[in-house]
Amino acid sequence: MISGARGRFSAVLRRNKRLSPSCSLLVLQRPDGFPDAYPGQFVSIRVCESPVPLLRRPYSIMDLTPGSLSLLVKVVGRGSAAIASRRPGETVDLVGPLGGVGFPDPENGTAVFVAGGTGLAPLLFAARTWRRKRLGIKTYLLYGAGSRDELLRDLVAGEFSACRFATLDGSAGYHGDVVALCGDLVKRKRIRAGTLYSCGPRSMVRALVEGAGESFGDHHTSLESIMACGVGACRGCTVPLKAAGTTALRTVCSDGTVFRANDIAWEEWEE
Amino acid sequence: MKGRSVRLSIGPVTFRNRVFLASGPAGYGTEYAGLIRLDRLGGIVTKTITLKPRPGNPGRRLWETTAGLLNSIGLENVGARAFFAEKLPALADAGGRPVVSLGAEDWDDYCRLLDVASASSGVEAFELNMSCPNVERGGMAVGGDADLLGTYVRRARETLAGAIIIAKLTPNVGDIAALAVAAAEAGADAITAINTVVGADLRPGGEPVFRRVKAGLSGPAILPVALDAVWKIAHAVDIPVIGAGGISSVEDAGKFFAAGAAALQVGTAIFYDPGLPERIVESLEAGGIPGPAASQSLSGSAE
Repeated sequence: MISGARGRFSAVLRRNKRLSPSCSLLVLQRPDGFPDAYPGQFVSIRVCESPVPLLRRPYSIMDLTPGSLSLLVKVVGRGSAAIASRRPGETVDLVGPLGGVGFPDPENGTAVFVAGGTGLAPLLFAARTWRRKRLGIKTYLLYGAGSRDELLRDLVAGEFSACRFATLDGSAGYHGDVVALCGDLVKRKRIRAGTLYSCGPRSMVRALVEGAGESFGDHHTSLESIMACGVGACRGCTVPLKAAGTTALRTVCSDGTVFRANDIAWEEWEE
Repeated sequence: MKGRSVRLSIGPVTFRNRVFLASGPAGYGTEYAGLIRLDRLGGIVTKTITLKPRPGNPGRRLWETTAGLLNSIGLENVGARAFFAEKLPALADAGGRPVVSLGAEDWDDYCRLLDVASASSGVEAFELNMSCPNVERGGMAVGGDADLLGTYVRRARETLAGAIIIAKLTPNVGDIAALAVAAAEAGADAITAINTVVGADLRPGGEPVFRRVKAGLSGPAILPVALDAVWKIAHAVDIPVIGAGGISSVEDAGKFFAAGAAALQVGTAIFYDPGLPERIVESLEAGGIPGPAASQSLSGSAE
């Protein structure tokens, strides 16, 4: 589905804006020759020159324009902390765009996005991509975070046909997780049944598959994983998919990142 | 003379230079299209293939440690038939010079795999992986026993006429030099040292990270282990030693040559620095790092 064009690039960081206590928006100058990318693809960033932390860190592309490449970086450990602390003017060593399968266009002109935390990034890229292609797609975003502070409402303003929010502590929007919000909307017939697109914690996507997701059409999810090569060579980032009476291991980096959520053998996928 | 002195001859086979991609991280080579110029390297040691396809290990497969990476991939591969029919021609089309890594769970599988490999035309070099820590059978069990290792190498030498045989050794043994000697006496044309170092890690709650508990450690953390092994082996055998283990910079590459390696393999580093193998080649071509001639125990012949 996606061409193999990718490369090693050095990109200048233009903007680093802290959007929430844990999350930063990094806007890089798009390097010369950086190929076009599809929603669901990612770049991998070298953390530093020293061997600690060792591996590159993968980030979904949140936006790619002729002049810029935007990423959403949540600090979860040493690697992401180092990346989030980069200053404008510094160069970032990145490889990409990576990922073999992106989000397909919705079948009936309606896309329902379910985002948890920074899982927002590839979904925002999908909404923007379809809008730029003038596909006339209705996009509904259901977006959950831990609290009001972590909800990046400014980032999604004006990007979707409609948005609904959920916070675990009830400080903004629906009080509960985003899957419960989705279930509530379905029960009250307040949401259209379109193609479902999700990205977020595994527990969120799995709960969606086993719950409210059944009320929608196809469910495509962009997965994340610890990765080493990012290109399908090392076979390190496998996800088990259901296959005729057994499971088949596929790599998140090259066979995804987007999979049909109902194909995933969740009970066999270890964190 | 530029570009010429870096070539490597092992037996009848000459490689364009002394820098290879190590088996495992490099996959089947073509995955790195656009990131690594395969035609600039001495060769690509392909992911170990077995007679039948292997799905690899279930559960977690990667875990980053301090300056290292634990893996428990479990020799996932497409099997010999698909490899020789599809993967190998694709690598050659991409300009990569293949060194085919072979592995087996038992003697019968091994002999049948050698027969399949023998029937495939065009492979000039094989690396025997009898040193993988991530499989229940074969792997390290063979590589840690000098007699068994010799038997396996001898069989490969007899079956794969015309190709060079490289034995890849595990560091998880008492005396790696003795194993190198056994491989050399059995007819190996070169030695690769080292495979991963056995290790384990625990989650904060005390649970092992990996289902099999132990896994293989690679990356900069194991470089001193590899240098020690290369040093010992280079002083014990007369065949070329190919150094591998933790090479993370041009300076690291120089250390391997100084320790007696005739060539080297870059593995885990291509995950975070895919440009490194080419930089080592450039440096060798420019005479910027001590080439193998600096070593007293040079065994690969420089032209």
